[in-house]
Order: sequence, then C-alpha cells, then structure tokens
Amino acid sequence: MDKATAGMAIRPADLPAPPRHAISVVQACSNPSVDARDLASIITNDPVVTAELLRISNSAWFGLVSPVKSITRAVTVMGGRALRNLVLCIAMRDALRADEIPGFDIELYWEDALRRAVSARQLSGLAGLDADECFTAGLLQDFGLLVLFYLYPRHVKHWERLAAAMPEERREMELDLFHTTHDAVGLVLAKNWELPAELAVAMGYHHDGVPEDVESQGALLCRVATCADWMAAVYRCEDKRQAVQCARAVLAEHFDASAEHADYLLQQVSGAMSDAAATLNIRVSEQMQFDEVLRIANLRLAEENLSYQELNWRLEQALAERDRIAGELQQELELAREVQKSLLPRGPTPFPGIVGLNLSAKAVSGDFYDFYQLADGRIGFCIADVSGKGMNAALLMAKTASLFRCLGRGIHDPGKLLTMLNREIVETSVRGMFVTMLAGIFDPETDEIVLANAGHLPALHVGCAALIASFPAREPPLGVVPESVYPNETFSLQGGCLYLYTDGLLEARVGERCLEQDGLMRLFREYAHLPVRERAQAIVDAVFCPEGVVDDDLTLVLIQGQGCHAGK
Amino acid sequence: MPFSVQDRQGISVVTLNGEVDLNNSPDARKLILASLKQRKQVMVDLSAVEYIDSSGVASLVEGLQYARSNDQAFGLIGASKAVMSVLRLARLDRVFPLFESLEGALQHGG
Repeated sequence: MDKATAGMAIRPADLPAPPRHAISVVQACSNPSVDARDLASIITNDPVVTAELLRISNSAWFGLVSPVKSITRAVTVMGGRALRNLVLCIAMRDALRADEIPGFDIELYWEDALRRAVSARQLSGLAGLDADECFTAGLLQDFGLLVLFYLYPRHVKHWERLAAAMPEERREMELDLFHTTHDAVGLVLAKNWELPAELAVAMGYHHDGVPEDVESQGALLCRVATCADWMAAVYRCEDKRQAVQCARAVLAEHFDASAEHADYLLQQVSGAMSDAAATLNIRVSEQMQFDEVLRIANLRLAEENLSYQELNWRLEQALAERDRIAGELQQELELAREVQKSLLPRGPTPFPGIVGLNLSAKAVSGDFYDFYQLADGRIGFCIADVSGKGMNAALLMAKTASLFRCLGRGIHDPGKLLTMLNREIVETSVRGMFVTMLAGIFDPETDEIVLANAGHLPALHVGCAALIASFPAREPPLGVVPESVYPNETFSLQGGCLYLYTDGLLEARVGERCLEQDGLMRLFREYAHLPVRERAQAIVDAVFCPEGVVDDDLTLVLIQGQGCHAGK
Repeated sequence: MPFSVQDRQGISVVTLNGEVDLNNSPDARKLILASLKQRKQVMVDLSAVEYIDSSGVASLVEGLQYARSNDQAFGLIGASKAVMSVLRLARLDRVFPLFESLEGALQHGG
C-alpha cells in the first residue's frame, strides 16, 4: 500500500495528544541559542520528566562517577543530545497509558520495543551512529502499532497473534485488520508531533527503505531500525529458526555482518535487556538467552529434517515389513501346499490300472482325489472339487479329504459315505461353500464299480472305442442342504475305463474353445491305445498350456478295468 | 454393469448379469445377504447371466442356506441356459426354487 494513501486513513485529530513538554525540550535541544541553563529550566517545567531524568542520569546506564543532583548538572554532564533522546524516550513511554487501550497488554508492547531499542544500540558501532540515538529510534520505531490499537481498540484481541508474528507477516496482518500499517501511522504521527526528522524516517521507512532524498544519517538510522526489528523478532517470534535466519540475512545485507557476528550481536540483546528495562522503568519478563533460542531453532530444523528422514526410514521399514510378510506368507503357502499334497495319494498308485493327476491354478488347490485299499482287496476312490479357489477352498478341501479317508475306511457304501459327509459339511458350512464329489469302490477282481455322485461332473465309462455310459449327479453337492441322500450306481467296467475329472479339464482351452465333453471324448479316444498312466499324462499334456499355467485346478482320475486289453 | 436390487411387490429382487465369477461373486453375496436381512422374500434374477462359476453358485447357496435357517423365501428367476446347465449338472436345480419370471414366483406364493 502506498504510504501516503495509508497515512491518509489516519486523521491528525484522531491521534493521541502530543507530549507537548517533551516536544518543547526536543526543539530547545536543537536550537543553538538555547544554553544549558535555559534548557534545564524548560525541562523542570515537567516534574515527572525531571524526576525521571535525575533517576536515570544517576543509574548504572550512564555510569557517572559523581551523583547528578540537578537538571542543570545533568544537561552539562550528558549533553543536550543525550538529554533530548532520554526525554523523548520517557515522554513516548508515557504518551499512551494502559487504560487508554482497554485490554491491551501494553507491557508486552514495551518489552518488545525495548528489545528493538537494545538491538539498535548494539548496531550503533557498525552503523557509526550515536548509541543513544539508535536506542531511541529502536524504542520508537513501532510506536505506530500502539497508535493503531489506540485508534481501533476492537482489534485488541489480535495483539498476541501479532506479537508472535514475523515483522513482515505482522505488517500483512495489520493491513488486514487496520487497512494501514504501523510504519505509515508512525510517519504521520512523527510529523504531527514534530519529532526529530531522523526519528520520523526510522519510524516511517524501516520496512520499505528510505526515499532517495533522505540524508545519509537518517538512512543509516533507518537501516539500524530494520535490523533491530528482525533482531527483536528472534526473541519474540514463534518460528525461531526462520527468525534467526532472517536476522542473519538482514544484518549481512545492511551491515555486511557475518553469521558469527550476527549471532554475537543477537546474543548481546538478552543481556542488555535488564539494564535498559531498569533504566526506563519498563517491566520485562525473564529473558530467554540466545543459546536457548538457537536450541529451539535447531530443534525445529532437526525436526524438519528428521521428519523427512523419518518418513524415508518408515517407508523403508514398511517395505521391509511387506517383503517379510510376503515371504512368510509364501512360506505358509508352501507349507499349505505340502500339507495338501500329502492328502493326495503319493507317487504312483500301488493299484495297477488306477492313476490320478492334479494340477493347481494357485499354490493351493480346491481339487483332490484319493484311493485306498479295503481289507477285502477292493479299492475306495474319490474325486472332488471345492467351490471357489485359494486358501478357503484349500481348507475345505483338506477337511473333506480327511473326513473321506477317515469315514471311508469304515463305510464301504459310497452313497452312505457321501450322505454322512454331506451332513458333516453342511453343519459347518461357511459362505455357501460346497464340494462336488464322486466316490466309489472298485473291485479289481470283478471290474465292478459302485458309485455315488454328489453334484460332480458325470463319470464317463468309456469302452475301447466309445462311451458306454455316463453317470451324472443325481443329488446336489456336499454342503448345500442337509437332507440329501446319495444313491449308488453299480456297474461293471467290462474292461473299459472310468474317467473322473474336474471342471478344470472340461473347461480347459484347446485353441479358442473350451474342451467340453465332446472334446474330452475325442482325447480319450485318441489316447485309448496308451497304457493308463501314459494316457492320463497325454490327456493332461494336450490341454496344458505351454506357459505351464492352468486357469483352474485340474484333476483327472482313470480307473482301467482288467477285462480289456487296452492299458494293460 | 453392476449388480442391483429392486423392490417389487414386497419382494427384493437381486439382479445379476454378465459373468459371475471370483471377481464379483463377493458383490453378489453382499447384495443377496443384505436383501435377506431386509426382506422376507428374496429372488435372484439370473436372466442376464452369461456365465457363473462355482464361487458365484456358492453365493446363491449361501443365500439359500440363510433363507432356510431363517424361514425366509429364496429363489432364482429366469435362469439363463448357461446358468441352468451348471445348476442341472450339479443337481442344484433340485434345491433352488426356480421360477421362469417374477410373476411366476408371485403366483407360487414367493
């Protein structure tokens, strides 16, 4: 915002009443025709200022050897310029009383102002300016902010937020709240109160830089004020890391100070506060040491770096954890696969003419088959397919396979066995999962087969060249409804072969199309001349895709009757 | 096209379509069970189903089992040729009440 425009918003009549006495002292100090005696008489017109001057000139601040008992003596010892500055400081300090801005923490304001004053004083050496001059400029540079709150007391509630903000950030907030800034108001006030020109420059231009026509002394003081603002911010602002960085940057820019020198200057500020506070009778809280400021700033820096590093670290941990879990899961799957394989007949069956093959689409399978020999020499067998795929199918398969083995030893009636298995599985059914199963007993002596089918694909009895009979399911799969009763079918293989299979084989793709029952029959006929083991392998190989991946679990069981020459 | 549920004359009708397999059978399952929890009678319209695998059939079986144990009505309507051949092969046509249309199901008393 243009300074003149911003200043226009503040009418001189709205400003607090000027400290007339102090102003006349300031003017007298600048007038060469006024001598020490005259000046003293002007000063003593104000008893409060007189008492304060005497107190201060005897304080440690000035470190005078002999006590100063009169203002005339004070004027002589300190000189007009120092006296002028002191009077200004005292007058401005008292220009606005706390009760004139209700609810405003004026002590916080003056503590902050004092910090700028001592910061500015630290810079006097670098700037080649008088220390008291710098101190006064620092003390008064933000007086406009106090005036703003005096003019708009309804915004007092924002003061704490403003106090903790960075200098530039604070100005933005001022624009939002007051539509003007403390420096613009400071400039109007300094002119209206006829404050010394160089002070007016410091108050009005310490943020934007001085206009070209300002003489060098005023420009220097203004730069001191700019730096003092950031130095004080280091102690006041929440974000100490940024404040320290900014303070170092402005000190380097304006006074060519190295980072070490900047830190040294900053370090001096907290130490100088208590003396200055005592001198000006300004109450200040316990001052944070610069070491502590740096510690907080570094902590924040460390936190920011840490958060990035930690993010990386956590990501690495998460990835490692994922790999570990995946590895474990793979191991578990391998174990499950082993357990499943143990449920299938191991190696070549000891029964001539009987062979089974199983390929799984996933690590674990929902298909299974089994053979076992009864005491009378007959052979119990089954083929089954659990609905769905993956681990839940594999678990139900394991349960069904175990039940089949266990109950099958005692129950030599396939229909009764399936009826019993069904009741068992229905009772603990989850998610509608079911098992299609073909169970039977084969008598190698007579070629007789007793068969029961629970919702499974038809068993195909194939002679030397053609289909003899199909044995489709007559009852639903195991695990669907408890009342199912499975009837037996009894027939003789008559030297033919009984083919049992799962839908993985039926739906296997040969070229573009699924095999289906016709395709299956073609394969059976094509390889009918082969011995049973080679025949089973040839059939599976014919549908097995070159990549070695099957879409579905695929199982094939062949039971070759003894009465026919084929497969012997 | 996603599966849907509509209320028709007090009956919740779950409509499945396209291929019902391992990928979307959990969706079918959720819809069927949610409908059974809200309505006494639930029918699954299978007229637009081109293929159903065993996991899809399991969703229907679960619906049937739930309905039976809670004394609710559950049936299949308009089973397409593809669905019927799967159901017949496994003799599941013996356990599911099958209707040609919703009207048929209503006449039958749901």
